[in-house]
Amino acid sequence: MSIMEVKCLKRDYGNGKGVFDLSFSVERGEVFGFLGPNGAGKTTTIRHLMGFLKPESGTCRIDGKDCWLDRPSVQKNLGYIPGEMNFFDDMTGAEFLNFIEKYRGVDSSIRKMDLISLFELDAKGKLKKMSKGMKQKVGIVAAFMHDPDILILDEPTSGLDPLMQNRFIDLVAEEREKGKTILMSSHMFDEVERACQRVCIIKNGRLAAVDSVDGLKAAQVKKYEVTLESEEAALEFANEDLAISEISHAHVTVLVQNNISQFIALMNKHPIVNISAPSQSLEEIFLQYYGGEKGV
Amino acid sequence: MFNFTLYKRGMRETFALLLIISAVLAMYFSTIIPMYDPSLESVLNQLASSMPQVMAIMGMGESGSTMAGFLASYLYGLLMLMFPMVFVIISANKLIARHVDKGSMTYLLAAPVKRSTVAFSQMKVIATGVFLIIAFASLLGIALSEALFPGKLEIGAFMLMNAGALSLHLFIAGMCFLCSCLFDESKYAVGFGAGIPLLEFAVQMLANAGGSAEKAKYATFFTLFDASGLIAGEAGAIAGMAALFVGAVLLFFGAIKVFSKKDLHI
Repeated sequence: MSIMEVKCLKRDYGNGKGVFDLSFSVERGEVFGFLGPNGAGKTTTIRHLMGFLKPESGTCRIDGKDCWLDRPSVQKNLGYIPGEMNFFDDMTGAEFLNFIEKYRGVDSSIRKMDLISLFELDAKGKLKKMSKGMKQKVGIVAAFMHDPDILILDEPTSGLDPLMQNRFIDLVAEEREKGKTILMSSHMFDEVERACQRVCIIKNGRLAAVDSVDGLKAAQVKKYEVTLESEEAALEFANEDLAISEISHAHVTVLVQNNISQFIALMNKHPIVNISAPSQSLEEIFLQYYGGEKGV
Repeated sequence: MFNFTLYKRGMRETFALLLIISAVLAMYFSTIIPMYDPSLESVLNQLASSMPQVMAIMGMGESGSTMAGFLASYLYGLLMLMFPMVFVIISANKLIARHVDKGSMTYLLAAPVKRSTVAFSQMKVIATGVFLIIAFASLLGIALSEALFPGKLEIGAFMLMNAGALSLHLFIAGMCFLCSCLFDESKYAVGFGAGIPLLEFAVQMLANAGGSAEKAKYATFFTLFDASGLIAGEAGAIAGMAALFVGAVLLFFGAIKVFSKKDLHI
């Protein structure tokens, strides 16, 4: 059963900005990755799901209820991490969490304490003086503490260090096992790979693809940066039968998809000094994928 | 309809401003009230009874010469208009537009709380603040007058004038709150929320100067607050007060509606 349903959603900001005829749905008990380059319309879509914006046409439904018309009832069972953390600056982290708890009218003190210790959050400081990562932790606790069944997470791990990112991914997996439904936007491929089952990619406000993470992974083009002894050697290496994306001095950047053994064999023939795999952003990966094959 | 947690938070947010405005008013009240001279009243009253026509032409009816009349012209002509207005302008912006502008409104709406409840609770914060300021001024005025000139102040008339001031400031609060709900950016909310009442106030001062400019009084809502008319218990002044109050209710209602329906880019 679809828990979240976006149907023919449209909001035109002019200049090709906005969301156009966007439709997708998230099933119960699924972690759904919501991806796309900056300005693609991710946050706009999320604002519609949160009931902050009224659709120009089309509908957004959560749990069968209209996100704009039935806001309070939709929000009852929803947790939200905004893309930007803007709190009441004069409060401390603990005061803010207490405020949200009372404001929602739900006693969530036990789970709040668990989450605070899970993320090693020091909530005593003033929010204004907190680092980005600390603020993010406060936002995470605020979104999860009332134990909602549905979560909308807009770049939830931004600002977190790798250890805390891992803890967050574990938390998401735990929540999924409990049957929660999660929509999560992200920039990091490995994060999405570990957390999500399905992803939807939007570009210029339109749906570019919906695919399982396994499908995306199979189609993933890996990038390797090979350093050779000299510039001449680099040029020689680049002449081999490989997909080359860039040559600069003695560095050659190679794209590899399903032909890793051929790549290794060729590397053995040339004077290689070093090889590295620069981390790829999700956009890069999907732009290679869809840009190359489907011409999105 | 009402969220007490948010209301409490709002009261705390505006409390410092409330204290400052009250302190400033207390300072003026305690400087100006002792300047009242009861002997002047008897002189003026004698004049009024000996040559009523002349005194009427000079605009000094009986109300102008009593202690309540003295307070009306020296405290409720400018100070009691300006200072509560400062409170209203600043807090109206703080309670809605600033949260939208800064993005902290996100957390107020990402909860099972209706938008109308958010706006209504914040509106109550302003209304409470205005009420507290006027109530403080009324009590302070009565206490000082009774202490310095026992029995001189007609308390009923003075209270009616304060009720008028309350209606006026609720009306201004309604305008500022509407601007706060209407605009997404603080600068516009304050620009219009402060700009309109200040402009109207300037028109009022122009009208007071008299002459051909007197017609300007029809262009400003400040005319509806007629302090000396209220002291004299004139029906027109009471009608003006009622009109301001009804206007305030309509403005607040409109503000809540606007906020409930608008798109929020937060």
